[in-house]
Amino acid sequence: MSAAPGLLRGRSPGLTLARRSLALILLCLLLLPFADLRIITVDPWGELWRMALGFAWPDFMALESPLRAIVLTVSVALWGTFIGAILGFPLALLFHHSRLVRGFCAFVRAIHELFWALLFLQVFGLSAVTALAALAIPYAGIFAKVYAEILELTPRAPNDALPSGVDRLSRFLYAELPLVWERLASYTRYRFECAMRASVLLGFVGLPTLGFYLESAFREGRFGEAGALLWIFYALVATLQWWGHRRLLLPLLVGALFFLGPWPDVDGELLWRFVSHDLWPAPLLEGNLPGLGAWLAGLPDLLPAIGNTLLLALMGTVGSLLLALLLWPLASRHFGRPWLGFGGRMLLVVVRSTPELMLAFIFLLMLGPSMLPAWLALALHNGALIAFLVARHADGLTLGMPNLPASGRYAYELLPRLYPNLLALICYRAEVIMRETALLGMLGVATLGFYIDSSFQYLMFDQAFFLLLVTAALNIAIDAISRRFRPREVPLDDPCSR
Amino acid sequence: MPLLELDRVDLGHGTQVVLPGLSLTFEAGERVALLGQSGAGKSTLLAEIRRRLDSEAAWCPQGHGLVPLLSVYHNVYMGRLERHGALANLINLLKPRHEAWQEIGLLVRELGLEGLLRRPVEQLSGGQRQRVAIARALYQQRSIFLGDEPLASVDPHQALRLLARIQARHTSSIIALHQHRLALDHFDRVIGLRDGQVVLDAPARELTLASLDALYPDAGPSNHEAGVAAST
Repeated sequence: MSAAPGLLRGRSPGLTLARRSLALILLCLLLLPFADLRIITVDPWGELWRMALGFAWPDFMALESPLRAIVLTVSVALWGTFIGAILGFPLALLFHHSRLVRGFCAFVRAIHELFWALLFLQVFGLSAVTALAALAIPYAGIFAKVYAEILELTPRAPNDALPSGVDRLSRFLYAELPLVWERLASYTRYRFECAMRASVLLGFVGLPTLGFYLESAFREGRFGEAGALLWIFYALVATLQWWGHRRLLLPLLVGALFFLGPWPDVDGELLWRFVSHDLWPAPLLEGNLPGLGAWLAGLPDLLPAIGNTLLLALMGTVGSLLLALLLWPLASRHFGRPWLGFGGRMLLVVVRSTPELMLAFIFLLMLGPSMLPAWLALALHNGALIAFLVARHADGLTLGMPNLPASGRYAYELLPRLYPNLLALICYRAEVIMRETALLGMLGVATLGFYIDSSFQYLMFDQAFFLLLVTAALNIAIDAISRRFRPREVPLDDPCSR
Repeated sequence: MPLLELDRVDLGHGTQVVLPGLSLTFEAGERVALLGQSGAGKSTLLAEIRRRLDSEAAWCPQGHGLVPLLSVYHNVYMGRLERHGALANLINLLKPRHEAWQEIGLLVRELGLEGLLRRPVEQLSGGQRQRVAIARALYQQRSIFLGDEPLASVDPHQALRLLARIQARHTSSIIALHQHRLALDHFDRVIGLRDGQVVLDAPARELTLASLDALYPDAGPSNHEAGVAAST
């Protein structure tokens, strides 16, 4: 009789995944001492208490014309998604045929909506064009990729059954598009939810959506008002399935047109100057190579910023993984009483509907500007999102031995079946976390985003653009790494994974 | 006059040969039943026949090849998709063509699907879908009918009626099926495949149900006796 294998020894796929995850967690723990995790404010709990009070007793009366902000938020999200889909669809058809298209899409989606907004702000000002372009451009890249993946999975049988000599367009319209229509529509609907969050966030750069009023209310300590705005946003998201019904889509789109605005006077000459001149380092345009070296030397010290960005992304990913492991039973029917499950689901929905920048902002007010609030926000938002998806997956499973104690159900029945999917979701999310990491710089955390934001503020567009390119390159690299790391052969049937 | 001649050809998918060195001749006006276990090579043979006859033959594939989201009308219309331009087909998706609607309406009624013209195929039962697939093949209006198990999911009584309609509208037919009684009573010739070989090719009237057992390894007479011996 052979001896039992040692700790984590063996070649089963489960053990391989466990070893990989533990290695990731260990790496994070080793690097943790390098992160700035100080609590800077004097009275974090008092601050949290006041915010909680504001959330529990929202002051709806204090709001000035919230309707305008709500309508603008929805209109921007609607048209941003719509234009993104219109641009993304033809790109999706070319996606698997052209390396150029794939590269272009990877680039536009590697830059966060808010950074696009900062860029367009310089040319189009605080206008609807800025808001729409900030959503539509990265979404076009995302739609192109996801639509292409969905189209690739079109069942082939109906196409093979067609008589020969049918033209390409008819083939597509009859035997391909209808087969994947539902999946395309459901992904588009999910993206619209993301667009709602992003549209709120646009308030942080000054566009008058809900986020604009939220930010000022929080910043000035009017927590009752902030609570009211948050409640309005949750109500909007929770009732989406009714007001965002597909029958209402056309009237909504047409109606939204009347509320979008203001429309800017675009000065063509200025626009051209910005694109051809302002965005590029002066020595490069003059062909002065030694000057370019001096220009590079004049950049802020990038290595710590890149290091912080990567570290925060790693911490955010590992934090999401741990939180998702802890939280998913809350929303699953296999654990606890029904009312508890309902409460857990509500909690997860609320946390995942809150834009991560919003969460970070709240923690920042509580804890002061270190990496701690950013970490908490990233881990909470993404952890809750993944926990929710995993719980839904778990609810679809039937247990072989339902009478096991809870720990046994968790460790033997459910987790082994759910974990590959959970890890795959985390790996997809890693790219998103990376993008958000850079973004949190706008709140003063010393990541790349901090320098991008300040470069824009000092009107150093060449520097800002260069840093944006660095961020995009980092994102694309992280995406490639996480793709290698993620478990293969996992059917990711949920479109919300990206 | 031969409809189609296969002379020592290797048939398969890609590099994998399923039917090596196959020689068969099909005559015009013949009604041929293809029998054999699943995996014996019936679909491979039919795919080759379809490729060679191209637009002369109407085709009814295994598993129907229907589009669930589209209506019965549109699924049947797809049988003649190549005879209209892309624009006409696009408009037909939004507003059905008048004459096509009339014609398909009659066809569908003949197959017992009246009143279902607007119904998405995803809401139909298995037997109804089967009939939509047959309607699509009939709508192609060819002289030859090729079918890969087109009667698999309908009851025996209905299978008989559908087969009669198919044969009335086509001068030749080559159909894979697994109802032996039907093959013997309603076809001129039976071809039996087993493990990539033609093991049976004879006029239907010369065959009996027992002679078809040779096509199935676990139902052959020798196996049968061995099974009886083992159980006693």
